[in-house]
Order: sequence, then structure tokens, then C-alpha cells
Amino acid sequence: MAKPKLALYWAASCGGCDVAVLDTNEKILDIANLADIVFWPIAVDFKYHHVRAMEDKSIDLCLFNGAIRSTEQEEIARLLRDKSKVMVAFGACACFGGIPALANFANREEIFQTVYHELPSNSNDSGTTPLTKTEVAEGELELPELFDTVLTLEQVVPVEYFVPGCPPPVDLILKLVDLFASGQLPAVGSVIASDKTLCDECERIKEEKKITKLYRPHEIIPDPNKCLLEQGIICCGPATRGGCGLRCIEANMPCRGCFGPPPGVTDQGAKLVSAIASIYQGDNEDDIKRMVEEMVDPAGTFYRFGLADSMMKRKRLHKR
Amino acid sequence: MKTARRIPLLKKMLAQLGIEDERVRLDWVSASEGDRFARIVNEMTEQIRQLGPFSNNGGGENG
Amino acid sequence: MEKISIDPITRLEGHGKIEIFLNGDGDVENAYLQIPELRGFERFCEGRPVEELPRIVTRLCGV
Repeated sequence: MAKPKLALYWAASCGGCDVAVLDTNEKILDIANLADIVFWPIAVDFKYHHVRAMEDKSIDLCLFNGAIRSTEQEEIARLLRDKSKVMVAFGACACFGGIPALANFANREEIFQTVYHELPSNSNDSGTTPLTKTEVAEGELELPELFDTVLTLEQVVPVEYFVPGCPPPVDLILKLVDLFASGQLPAVGSVIASDKTLCDECERIKEEKKITKLYRPHEIIPDPNKCLLEQGIICCGPATRGGCGLRCIEANMPCRGCFGPPPGVTDQGAKLVSAIASIYQGDNEDDIKRMVEEMVDPAGTFYRFGLADSMMKRKRLHKR
Repeated sequence: MKTARRIPLLKKMLAQLGIEDERVRLDWVSASEGDRFARIVNEMTEQIRQLGPFSNNGGGENG
Repeated sequence: MEKISIDPITRLEGHGKIEIFLNGDGDVENAYLQIPELRGFERFCEGRPVEELPRIVTRLCGV
């Protein structure tokens, strides 16, 4: 019997999710034994034309990482969706937008302006910016068009499963592979992680959540045994799905939400505004003003990995 | 009292997202202050009318 | 002129494609490497607290 076919692809991504699959170490051999990898640019030399030639639904499982922010990324997402039985939004970028979604604080014009014109470390005297079509002596070259807005995979194509994390931890990757191999994939729409919040899973000592000052992580040395929020350090744990193994917490660094919102929370940022403001003590105008000042960059902190997935999806875009 | 802290923080975050401060308003009105309630609602309505409908040309669309 | 596209380039981190133009003799007249991606880190890092940058720019490359 033919082995199931597996495809992996990266859109607006850093390669970390692909490396995470490689981080399964010797178990990658089990994966290779289990399935035929028919497309995986980081590791295998198949091209887009190979995918186009495949029959629809001939790929059994597609792990798609990276956010969508160009015509090429959208095209390949749609192509792989057509060719795949099961599509997984793999990693924080595909699930929620990830770090690349921070570009939703800007638009294409502003990004080009910074990158190609203003950046001190760039040398671009001719003021060249990318064009979708360029004439050269020999013919024509094409580049994809970049979007103003970064999208999650689900905002472009239907997705069956979500594996969050930046990157997803090895144990969740292996869990997904296991569920797939044994034909026990859960209900469509499931997130392959915990159903609890990070706070629920965090083993630090939690007493009473009452703080009178917010500290930026470099301003104090946090006690590694106590809850970070209770020490005045913004930790996104209350509104972040668990299952990551507390990698950041164990490095004495606060959570920044890469597993996305927990079940029941539609907007991670709104939930965090609510949580932080709730535990801050102080009811007079000065206290409140101080809290707002101490909370540096709320949108960029509370939507660090999930701006594309938020209710607003992006900073307001004005018509040109 | 949590609301009194949540709203200013929310407004700071909304400002980063390009949403005008005037689109969110916090007032404290008791059930017996009917006239005051009506006045505040009318003020807010007029203010929003002047700001115009909120449009966000992103969110699932290629802007 | 005949054009051969290598798309995507593989077994490295990043996105790229190579367009090779062949002349009438079948020899390479010219070849172009194109990078079809831009995420805009240079722009969206502006406005973030400096102590958060180490956890943001590490996402430039996960390899």
C-alpha cells in the first residue's frame, strides 16, 4: 500500500517551524518511514511545478507554516489546499499571524519607505523598490505583490488543525504525527495543544494577584519561584493557551502569548487589557494614569504573536 | 473599579491601532439620572457622527 | 528568449527563485536571482520596547 504523502511549506516565516520538525531528531526517520515527503523546500528539492502536477487531494497531510502577506504566499496556500486532504496551520504565524503580523501596525508603503529609503544601514541611492514586473534585456521578471495586511492561513483557506507555538514544541509535533499515523485525528478545527491557559499549567507560586507597579523585564531580577505577574512583570499567561512546556517561564522570562488565545477567548489583547487592569491596585486618577504609563506598548505586547488574529486584525488602514 | 482602570488602558491600546480616543467613552450615571444619561448619549452620538463610520480596510482583504 | 525557472530554490532558509535566460545557441545569456519575500522587521520593530527586541528579531531566522 502506498505511504501517505506529506507536504510542508513556509510562507512569511523564519524557518523555525521547519527546524522544529527536524528537531524531532531521530524520530524524523520514523516520519520519513511513515510518509513520502512530496514537498518541503528547506529539505527536499521539489518545485512548485511538481505540486501543480499533483492530483487534487493527493497530499494526505500538509503542514503549512508562516503567515500570508503576498500574492505568491496566497497562491501556494490555495494550491496546497486544493492538493491536500488535511491542512494544518503549523506554528504561530500560520495560526495567528505571528511576529510577521506586527507589520499590521504599518502598511506596504510605510514598510517600503523604511526598508528601501530611510534605513541607515541600506545603501539604495537609486531609490529602487520592488516591482511586480521588471523589464530586463532578456525578457521580463516578476515578483509577487506584497499585501498591506498580514493574514493568517485560515483567513485565506479552510484549515483542519492548528498547532500553535513559536515554534511548536517537539512533543506537540510528535503528537500530531502520532494522531495522523494512527488515524485518530480529533474533531476538525481542533488546536493540538492544551485546553487550559498557561497560568493553569504554570508551577510558580501564586498568592494574591495585586500589584502596584508594572516593571519592564529588565528593571528587576524576577524571583524564579513566584508568579511573574505578581512581581509586576507583564506576563501574557492569563490569556494564552497552555501546552508549550513553559519554555519561557523556566528561563525566567514572561510569556508573550505565542500559543494564542485559550478556548473561550476571542481576542487575546482585550483579555490581557482586562487582566492587567484588574490586578493593578489603585483607584484614584494618578494611580490609573501611572499604570497606563507603565504599560509600555500594550498593543505590541498583548498582540505580539496574534495581531492578524485579533478583532481589529490590524492598525487602521486609511484609504489612499 | 476595574472598569475605571480597564478603559484608559484599552484606549491606549486602541490608539496604537489607529482608533480615535473619542470612539470610546466612560461615564458613570446612576439610574436616577435620566436627563444626564440622555445628554451623554446624545453628545456621544453627535461626536461619532462627526467622526464618521469606522472603516478598517484590512482584516481579510488585501489592502 | 527561452527561460528556465527554478522556483523555489531549496535546501536553504529563505525564499528565492532563479530565472535563467537561454540564447539561441542554448547557452546561458543571463541569470537572475530574485527574493520574493519581505516581512518588514525594519519597520515594525520601531515602537517596540527595546528589551523585547531580542525575542522579536530572533524570528528573522529560525535556523
